[in-house]
Amino acid sequence: MRETVFPGLGILTTLLYGAVIAWLYATAPRSLEEVATGVRVAAGSYQIDQARFDAALRLFRAEQFRAARDEWGRADPAQRDARTQFYVAYAFYREGWGRVYKDDALYRQGLDAVNRAIAASPSAPLTVADPLLQMHTAAELKAELEKGGERQWGDLNPLKMLEPRK
Amino acid sequence: MVLLTVALLGGLRVAAGHRAFLFVPPPLITLVLAGLLMSLFVRGGLVRPARWVHGDQPLLVNVSRLLTLVALFASSAQAFNSVLPEQGLLHWLFCFFFLWTLWNNQFSPFDPARLLRSLAVLFGTAFVLKHLLLAGLHPAEAGWMGRVAAALLQGVSLGALDAPAFAPATGYISFFTVALYVGGLMLVPAAPPPALAGAGDDAASLVEGGPPQGLLRG
Repeated sequence: MRETVFPGLGILTTLLYGAVIAWLYATAPRSLEEVATGVRVAAGSYQIDQARFDAALRLFRAEQFRAARDEWGRADPAQRDARTQFYVAYAFYREGWGRVYKDDALYRQGLDAVNRAIAASPSAPLTVADPLLQMHTAAELKAELEKGGERQWGDLNPLKMLEPRK
Repeated sequence: MVLLTVALLGGLRVAAGHRAFLFVPPPLITLVLAGLLMSLFVRGGLVRPARWVHGDQPLLVNVSRLLTLVALFASSAQAFNSVLPEQGLLHWLFCFFFLWTLWNNQFSPFDPARLLRSLAVLFGTAFVLKHLLLAGLHPAEAGWMGRVAAALLQGVSLGALDAPAFAPATGYISFFTVALYVGGLMLVPAAPPPALAGAGDDAASLVEGGPPQGLLRG
């Protein structure tokens, strides 16, 4: 019995500790707070901070896009919530949108965020039923962000300046 | 546990300024160095693989000992990772000296105690060079003389001394890691006692060289 139990416990402990080390190096948390968030994600008990999310939404509607993104970053530190990442991407889109030109750097970050949103909802297409938005699905938003980053002859058409922001 | 703790802490740095953790995975070269070191352990008699894992032992014991050897390899790679500069010419210079030393040592007669002393000196020297000398030359940390020396060295080395700035806590973590690694090596027995179901005289007859020879006994 002893010959089985002690090596068995040793193997189990070693494998568990090794898995924790591999997980730490794979996720590279930057603080103990991020470690705790990562543990909650791994355990399936991760939830966003709803109060911060609502505060960020109010900032977003007041066109304070950077402040809104900052607040959403605190509401969803693990960047795992599809709805929050959708709004983050939308904030990048709206801030980067210009009548004459689109900000490529902001659009790229928006594309990263919308990809995170899509990855966070693999089972069903992500739809956000917010009546104040013109785009309600992650697919629409992604297409718009991709289109903004492309260079075409059509960009020289002066009528494009009349296109509205979504 | 000791070896795995070394594997955990070997790549841990603390960024200067915002004090964030940075987990630096072991570069490929540290795996090569760890491989050479494992070979040195075998040649120097620190580890006798045939006595660690053999068919007469229960499967669980063999698996457990194999995992210990894997942990020894991982901790060796991370111990190198801890004392190697992260980038630039100095990273490759340190790698070259480590490779040179380990390669030469493959052909030198070693007993376990001597090998351990040699490794303690090797890691200690690299630690002092990286965390005391080079960290002291970093312009953000140095006084005015250090800044002048850093500027001169930057000019001479054409920027090859560029290294990311880490908080002083990184040096303490590295010191603890290296000390733990060398301490861990002391605890590794060259040939662990045989674990045989229903062992008695048969088991004793397997221990050809007498009792297990850990480095502390050496």
